[in-house]
Amino acid sequence: MTDTVSGTTGAGAKLSRRPKSASRHGRGLDAWLAPGAVILVLVLLVAPPILILLQTSLTTETKGLADGHFTLEHFAGLLDNPRLYVSTWNSLVFSASSTILSILFGGLVAWIVVRSNAPFGPLAYITAIVSLGTPYLLHVAAWTFLLGRTGPFNEAWRGLTGGTTLLLDVYSMWGMVLIQGMLWSPLVFLLMSAVFRRSNAEMEEAARMCGASIAQTVWHISFKLAWPAITGMALFVFIRNLESFDVPVLIGGPAKIYVLTTDIYLSMTEMPPKMGHATAFSLILIGVVSVALLFYSRFAKNADRYASVTGKGYRPRPFDLGPWRWVGGAVVIVNFLLVLLLPLIATLWISLMPFVRPMRLSALKLLTLENYRVVLAEPRYLELAFNTITVAAGAATAAMALALLAGWLVVRRWPGSGLIEQLINIPIVFPGIVVGVALLILSLKLPIPLYGTLAVIMLAFLIRFLPYGMRYAHSGVMQIHRELEEAASISGAGQITILRRVVLPLLVPALLSGWLFIFLIGANELSMSVLLAGPRTQVMAVAMLDQWSSGQSVEVFALGMCWSLFMTLCALIFYALTRRTMMGEGDGGL
Amino acid sequence: MKRRSRQGLPACRVFAAAVALLAAGHARADEKVLYEAAKKEGEVNWYTGLIQNQVVRPIVAGFEKKYPGVKINVTGGRQTEINLKILNEAKAGKLQADLTEGSTVVETFKPAGIIVPYKGPWAKELPAQYQDPAGYWRAIVLYFLVPAINTEMVKPADEPKTLEDLLDPKWKGKMAWTAEMTIGGPPGFIAAVLKEMGEEKGKAYLKKLATQQIKTVPSNPRVVLDQVIAGQYPLALITYNHHSVISGRKGAPVKWLKMEPAVGAMAMSVLLKGPHPNAAKLLIDYLLSSDGAQVIRNANYIPSNPKVEALDPTLKPEKGGFKAVTPSPEEIEKNVGKWIGIYKELFQ
Repeated sequence: MTDTVSGTTGAGAKLSRRPKSASRHGRGLDAWLAPGAVILVLVLLVAPPILILLQTSLTTETKGLADGHFTLEHFAGLLDNPRLYVSTWNSLVFSASSTILSILFGGLVAWIVVRSNAPFGPLAYITAIVSLGTPYLLHVAAWTFLLGRTGPFNEAWRGLTGGTTLLLDVYSMWGMVLIQGMLWSPLVFLLMSAVFRRSNAEMEEAARMCGASIAQTVWHISFKLAWPAITGMALFVFIRNLESFDVPVLIGGPAKIYVLTTDIYLSMTEMPPKMGHATAFSLILIGVVSVALLFYSRFAKNADRYASVTGKGYRPRPFDLGPWRWVGGAVVIVNFLLVLLLPLIATLWISLMPFVRPMRLSALKLLTLENYRVVLAEPRYLELAFNTITVAAGAATAAMALALLAGWLVVRRWPGSGLIEQLINIPIVFPGIVVGVALLILSLKLPIPLYGTLAVIMLAFLIRFLPYGMRYAHSGVMQIHRELEEAASISGAGQITILRRVVLPLLVPALLSGWLFIFLIGANELSMSVLLAGPRTQVMAVAMLDQWSSGQSVEVFALGMCWSLFMTLCALIFYALTRRTMMGEGDGGL
Repeated sequence: MKRRSRQGLPACRVFAAAVALLAAGHARADEKVLYEAAKKEGEVNWYTGLIQNQVVRPIVAGFEKKYPGVKINVTGGRQTEINLKILNEAKAGKLQADLTEGSTVVETFKPAGIIVPYKGPWAKELPAQYQDPAGYWRAIVLYFLVPAINTEMVKPADEPKTLEDLLDPKWKGKMAWTAEMTIGGPPGFIAAVLKEMGEEKGKAYLKKLATQQIKTVPSNPRVVLDQVIAGQYPLALITYNHHSVISGRKGAPVKWLKMEPAVGAMAMSVLLKGPHPNAAKLLIDYLLSSDGAQVIRNANYIPSNPKVEALDPTLKPEKGGFKAVTPSPEEIEKNVGKWIGIYKELFQ
């Protein structure tokens, strides 16, 4: 559990000093104090859902209140699935392709914006933030509208050819990959821009002085330094894609492209929902992910090689792309078009229609503000907005605080760091409904009156979004060179002082980005809130679902537009307040 | 169109109010006792999947105005989640829900032993098929599920009239239905076909239908209908007929088809062993009263109360002249597994 320095050799090792010994963290019990506390908190958070997963997956479904008996049928049922091999293959293709798409696209935009002198940088931040602030449901609906049978692309194609054939069939594998990839590229962009912002300028400049071209420098220095962050994120996005329900079901369902989660989704729409099946699948995923994380953490042990924030000035200078800067600017614009503008136009169009109409000139006479009138005349939405913001902000704050501590302990390889890393990453594979059910049961069983309160929803968000916070904190700490802490230590600072005075200030940008991210996805979370909300603790996403599934589908687009606008305002205020910190002293942030 | 219906409304209201006054005469004394008891409880926890904006809020407003001192706490959401929540409350011995309704509540809560049988003043007048003889449930809203078409994509001459018409190759890949595995989805359609044609012929028909490549839309029938309106599919196989009427009134190019048999379903209200039994009874009585039915009707739903006609009476089989198959909760509980099995075997 202590510092084993296997495999720190190799060419990269000369970039850093090897960790010396376990004694850095003190000896004996003292060294376990902080990690022990973090482990305890994590176990308390993660264990209840796991226990409920285990229990549900190993118990027969019963009618009524009777307890089921022990069974392995849910696990056997997974293997029985006649489509298992096809589904597995589809799942892998879907997850891998959309991961690659979002990493390439999000990563490229991040590098252009943070590290080059290409124009329109702020546009990319706005794109990412508005896009994250938009409810998932609207994104998918807008994309299926755009690419669907009566969307503008197919309409134009039919107009050109005069036929009835389709140019694009969104209900296909590429449709799934495109939409999922676009959904996740804002996250990748935000994470990668945090990484690139702290790249080491010295090494890049050294490379440039030795005559390397921009491309060579970027490839050999910038990207290689960011490599652990990139692979960590790729793994993370891949797992997230693997366990995602929405896009595979909404887009793949009508096309009969089944992935592993399709079956589970379908079994949960039965009445009563077949939870056993879903939980068995989650457990298998947890197993797979734990193995993947083990490999990753062995790989990340060499993190010191990648530390780029050292004691010397580390502000990176942007690359001068020369005439190519306009190509970079074009990429930012394309990103803006694809991730934000097109879905936004579709949403706006639908929200101005009395019912969903294709984008045609003839439909212009139907334009109406009626949906907005209805939405704005409803005072209840204020209460919903307040509830939503309270819950999302609370969860984001708690998650980032915990992630900061955990990320630091893990990267600095304190005792128990392996366990911490495993525990904190497990919730990635919890389906929302499982966390929801776990907390439902827990809040009913606890003697304190938690049931139906905002606190329960907050707790659910904290559990489910912890891994996201960890990604931000972990890659943030990884880039801070140990020498800074060692210097502080030599000057007599204790570990708490080091954390507070050295690590925390350097990590603030990463922590704030993580906070904002969790805040935004929390504000739009649905599957847990719908289960946990009480009469006075309803949140916005639940209200939207209510409208969506009840034939007020055009109204929900109007509400969605207002909500995105509001969330964007929140995000902008957040940036205004934290502007100086986020920007450091003038490096290319927003 | 809109203006005309608005003008018609006051006359209807006056008539309904008169009816309500007469009907209320008998039950007045009982009602007073119940109201007093409900006032002592002060509130009632209503878990409902009914649409908040359209129905729930007008009902709450109407009820709280009629019975000051009794507050309704609404917990909304989808029926799946509501059922899950209530079962977990019951398992923990902390049942909060006083009443709920839906098409699957009886099969879910009766085995759990948390339904309280109840027969209110409405029991005498409510048709027998809309209530349980033992008082376990009563319907508050009626639904009829039929196919619907996009009128811009399907010419009147091409409209399918019978189940057999759906086997025409021109519909291949053009039909959609919901993924909801309830009586309001494919299992309901399958049930109606089997009942209409008999097991053997029905199964043979479904086998042929399966080769038509029906698209399963992973959402509820309302969303499927919205996709038909948007032009994604020309025809949806199983949709609520009142939804087509609501959207049609706004000018949407949609029309429901009187293809026989339609599938009948009900929102069955159940009284649970919650903390406010009297207030819950009062609310059930209100939902079935003329006042309550009027609110339901004005939201474009079909109330079960026989004295309050639907906004569009032709939505109902008697007035619309079409045949409907309405499986009882017992039939559903017994056979829903079989129907889902057929769906999985042939259509998934």
